[in-house]
Amino acid sequence: MSEMAIEAVGLGRDFGAFRAVTDVSFSVEAGEIFGYLGANGAGKSTTIRMLCGLLLPSRGTARVAGFDVGQKPEAVKAAIGYMSQKFSLYLDLPVRDNLDFFGGAYGISGRALPRRAAEVTELCGLGGLGPRITGTLPAGLRQRLALACAILHRPAVLFLDEPTACVDPQARRLFWRVIRQLAASGTTIFVTTHYLDEAEYCRRIGLMAAGRLIALDTPAALKRAYVPGRVFLVRGENLAATTSAVRAQPGILAFEPFGAGLHLQAEPALWNEASVKLAVERAGGREVVVEAADPSLEDVFLAALGRAEPAA
Amino acid sequence: MIGKERTERAEGTERMQKAGKRGRAWAVALAAVVRKEVRQTLRDRRVMFLLIVAPLLQTVILGYAVDFDFENVPTLVVDLDRTATSRMHARRLLADHTLQRQPGGASVTTATAELRSGKAAAAIVLPPGLERDVLAERPAEVQVLLDGTDPNRAMVVASAAARYFGETAEDLLRERLARAHVPPPPVIRAEPRALYNPGLETAPFMMPGVMTMLLVITTTIVTAMGLSREREMGTLEQVLVTPIPPLVLLLGKMTPPLVIGCFDVFLVLTAGVWLFGVPVSGPPAVLAAGTLLYLVCTLGIGLLISSVSKTQQQSFLAGFLFIMPAILLSGVMTPVQAMPAWLRMVTYVNPVRYFIEVLRGNLLKGAGFADLWWRLGALGMIGVIILFVATMRLRKRMA
Ligand SMILES: Nc1ncnc2c1ncn2[C@@H]1O[C@H](COP(=O)(O)OP(=O)(O)O)[C@@H](O)[C@H]1O
Ligand SMILES: [Mg+2]
Repeated sequence: MSEMAIEAVGLGRDFGAFRAVTDVSFSVEAGEIFGYLGANGAGKSTTIRMLCGLLLPSRGTARVAGFDVGQKPEAVKAAIGYMSQKFSLYLDLPVRDNLDFFGGAYGISGRALPRRAAEVTELCGLGGLGPRITGTLPAGLRQRLALACAILHRPAVLFLDEPTACVDPQARRLFWRVIRQLAASGTTIFVTTHYLDEAEYCRRIGLMAAGRLIALDTPAALKRAYVPGRVFLVRGENLAATTSAVRAQPGILAFEPFGAGLHLQAEPALWNEASVKLAVERAGGREVVVEAADPSLEDVFLAALGRAEPAA
Repeated sequence: MIGKERTERAEGTERMQKAGKRGRAWAVALAAVVRKEVRQTLRDRRVMFLLIVAPLLQTVILGYAVDFDFENVPTLVVDLDRTATSRMHARRLLADHTLQRQPGGASVTTATAELRSGKAAAAIVLPPGLERDVLAERPAEVQVLLDGTDPNRAMVVASAAARYFGETAEDLLRERLARAHVPPPPVIRAEPRALYNPGLETAPFMMPGVMTMLLVITTTIVTAMGLSREREMGTLEQVLVTPIPPLVLLLGKMTPPLVIGCFDVFLVLTAGVWLFGVPVSGPPAVLAAGTLLYLVCTLGIGLLISSVSKTQQQSFLAGFLFIMPAILLSGVMTPVQAMPAWLRMVTYVNPVRYFIEVLRGNLLKGAGFADLWWRLGALGMIGVIILFVATMRLRKRMA
């Protein structure tokens, strides 16, 4: 393995007396999709903005695409693409003029520019939209246009700050297809999100809470580490009335409504599927099905928060 | 030895190639910013209006409306004498059309009421016994009542009446001396002759003022709001992650207002020459140099404003807060010489002041570099300083 695509060492940022990011350290391999998860205000955007050279770190250093962010910001800028959290293209210009501007901004000129613009338009599924005024596009298309503008110069590292906020599920899936294609062709992706299901697309994820990086690993390893025991899903009708009966069962570690069903986390040794099913049916549940489920990242996140809080 | 030389030369070439590559990238980026700015400007109806239609409208409106040449001032003649002599004086007083007789003015009381209501701006009261006094060669007094709310107009009426009756008195004196066979006394008469703007018309004097005000209003505010808008929309952040250096971005953003400013000068000048007979008597190179340097100042101020304000609204307000005193303290409206000394000091750092002097000198008096060089120099210096401070501030804020 040569150099890491992103390497942060003790990176931190204060706003006045407020610590927005408290000394985070991590590294991201080239070609990896790295997810950064956390609630609003956790410090995700602040971290990204330091890595992009938009914000000076108060402490620590970072190397992106092989260049030190503090010392070679120009080289970093040329090597990265960035989609900010707020949609930020020119709404009053047509799609093609936005592509033209950002292409030129990255130094692409002459015949290479329209050729490259056509390529990214194709890749992002924006064919035929060139003359449309950007402000009239639906959110999903805008998002993909912002992505197209951010990858015109074939960046080695792509930073996406909540790229799919306010986008419908269909558009999110399309967006992620493009992201995975980019990663497959070698682009390193650093993406923040608060959609936990999206984190499953990431090879590794970092969990942020109150400016701290509280956990970092692959989704599977995180689940193993933070969600001991097994997870079960109870489905059926009239389950709302049965919660106290379920809770009384032996070996139940955690418990929460999940859609129309119940999400259980249980100690494997004490788990008795038949007795749980019986208890639910006695309490009034009908057509009850109990099945083993994968722990979700939500479980992981809650567990990690629970462990981090007493320490903090 | 040779090897070392070769590597050194190779390093030099490489460095030069790197610099050349970077220069080319900047040129490409600058072109991209200019293209984008032009497209946005062309699409923005409000800006287009502000930059093109508003200047023309203001030229025409100000050119016609701001007119200090008073003619046909509505005047009442209160003839209390009702004789051939009084009627003759009334007729001759009105003959040059400075004053125009209004119906009414039966008595001093009604004339006063009519002045108050605005029906007339002045009343000439010819007293009873005027003819008798004149024939008897006794002193006579003609009263001139003025509406002083507009001092300029009042002065015009007063001096027209004073001139007429002064000349009349002189004629009477001559007649009397001639009758007594005394040679007429020597007369010293002042004969004003205007070297520039010989007709003493207002429009040629006002047109440079209109140009000066237009340029500062349009270019300063458009520039100030342009950057704030990008900040507000979030596009500035997106631009700042590209390798465009802030200076290139600012240069690119200044290009359209600079071009449009030059175009506005051309537009207003053409309208002025065509509609109001404004002379273009000086060397055009001085006009061009003055305009460019002035635009550097106004654009720099726009950038400076956008470096201290957060939103478009703040920029707009700050723009007006600057423009108002800048125009009042420039000599566009009132002569700088008439200001108190401490205010006059302020005008020395006011680019608007230098530009109006360059324009008036160049257009109306035919002044060239020899007469105007230090004003051009002052404009250039102010422009460079403002631009420098603004870009430093913005670079710091963007970094
Ligand atoms: N420019 C700023 N000035 C002051 N506080 C800021 C600034 N930017 C972010 N913050 C604060 O830092 C914290 C982290 O913000 P952010 O990184 O945007 O969180 P996230 O992206 O995870 O929602 C928030 O509490 C936010 O209010
Ligand atoms: Mg954020």
